[in-house]
Amino acid sequence: MRIFLKVWRQASPDAQGRFVDYTAEDVSPDMSFLEMLDVVNERLIMQGEDPIAFDSDCREGICGTCGFMVSGIAHGPDPGTTVCQLHMRRFKDGMRLTLEPWRARAFQVLKDLVVDRSAFDRIIQAGGYTSVNVGGAPDGNAVLVGKTASDKAMDSAACIGCGACVAACKNASAALFTSAKISQMALLPQGQVERFQRVVKMVDRHDEEGFGSCSNEGECEAVCPKEIPITNIARMNREYFRALLFSRD
Amino acid sequence: MSSPIRRVLSSTVGTKLLIGLTGLALFVYLIIHLAGNALIFAGQDAFNVYAHALISNPLIIPLEIGLLLLFLVHIYKAITNYVKNLAARPEAYDKKAYAGHTSRKSVASSTMIVTGIIVAVFLIIHVKQFKFGSYYQTVADAGVRDLYRTEIEVFSNPFWVAFYVMATLLVGLHLRHGIASGFQSIGFDHPMYTRRLTMWSLVLAVIISGGLAAIPVWVYFTH
Ligand code: HEM
Ligand code: FES
Repeated sequence: MRIFLKVWRQASPDAQGRFVDYTAEDVSPDMSFLEMLDVVNERLIMQGEDPIAFDSDCREGICGTCGFMVSGIAHGPDPGTTVCQLHMRRFKDGMRLTLEPWRARAFQVLKDLVVDRSAFDRIIQAGGYTSVNVGGAPDGNAVLVGKTASDKAMDSAACIGCGACVAACKNASAALFTSAKISQMALLPQGQVERFQRVVKMVDRHDEEGFGSCSNEGECEAVCPKEIPITNIARMNREYFRALLFSRD
Repeated sequence: MSSPIRRVLSSTVGTKLLIGLTGLALFVYLIIHLAGNALIFAGQDAFNVYAHALISNPLIIPLEIGLLLLFLVHIYKAITNYVKNLAARPEAYDKKAYAGHTSRKSVASSTMIVTGIIVAVFLIIHVKQFKFGSYYQTVADAGVRDLYRTEIEVFSNPFWVAFYVMATLLVGLHLRHGIASGFQSIGFDHPMYTRRLTMWSLVLAVIISGGLAAIPVWVYFTH
């Protein structure tokens, strides 16, 4: 297969970026998208050029490090798939693809397709944990959690923090990420103690980082590699409303 | 925690709670407005009696002020929210595609600010034409306004008929995304009903905007 790429190249955060055309030759349909880029980069290195920078780590869709826009869709056209798990058999010989970094005020482009997602870390630091000392680990069966709640908490906890939700949202909102991180706590007994402070602090931090608000279009859910549902956002809004009415802190 | 209500309501989530609550309240108002005005189909007397009962009710002034407030909060919040959201992505994508799959993005959801602003302009004209429009007495009862006649007068002009039909269809487009979106914003989440919300949003939008559009068309063709 031969694939024509139009890739965003930007040397540093402050440098002026631009699109550069590349041709990926001899692409095997069994290659992952990132392996295809590895091949392009090998050639660039041989020619003494700067390889295309992109993030990746596990390459098996579980760490959340990889991610960029493939022709206007975060992580590319396959639902529930990170770009490291996207395979070239998905594309046709001779196709033209545009590769762009996530774009948001809160995600500065560091180099080419790599963006700074530390804003997510700061949202977690604002309250995505429990700080109360609960003593030693209780017996597994002593703290009862309903099946529905535990399933939903687990589904929310599946978020790998890749940033695709922000990238896909027309408002560059991190509502899906933030709400998943709030939900995994709000649904479980361990999350109850700081429940109200948590939602207010995390939403505050989300706003300070410069993310937008949710217009309920659900583009985030559609591109999310872990298919986190936007019912999490409804839960976050509910938690926030409750904090507004009942918080005594 | 230092969280005076005002600061909280200006957060992204607080803002959307307000837009959702006011939007849904306006939607409920619209249902009542449509039901009352559908009395035009029942004839001159029924319509005028209803209109008179409405404006002679002592509660009408506080209710009107409340309604105005709903509009002002909705419009103010929706516009500031829109501007802030634009700022959240200073650099646009060269290429951006519809994500497909479970996305609910639609023409309606992408044009909320446009349909909203056109509706606001329409409402000013609409209130001027009716509430503050030509005043006629009914023959039977000197203290009763013949609003029916005002309505027949306005809708004898094909320009106004077309204008009203267009405006009500835009209200429908606003509601097609708005109803489901409003419920989601205020935190509604049910294992079964949430999934049907988008469908109900469409059905209700069609009923409301179809019903509202039917009035000028009916008046034009029967008078
Ligand atoms: C008949 C009057 C109106 C009704 C019934 C109505 C209803 C609604 C509803 C139910 C929503 C969904 C709320 C949410 O997403 O949480 C909404 C959203 C919105 N409304 Fe209205 N609205 C009306 C008039 C207006 C006007 C005059 C504007 C003028 C600017 C406006 C601008 C918006 C915008 C921009 C949104 C989307 C907010 C977002 O993207 O998050 N609306 N409206
Ligand atoms: S590299 Fe770990 S998810 Fe793609």
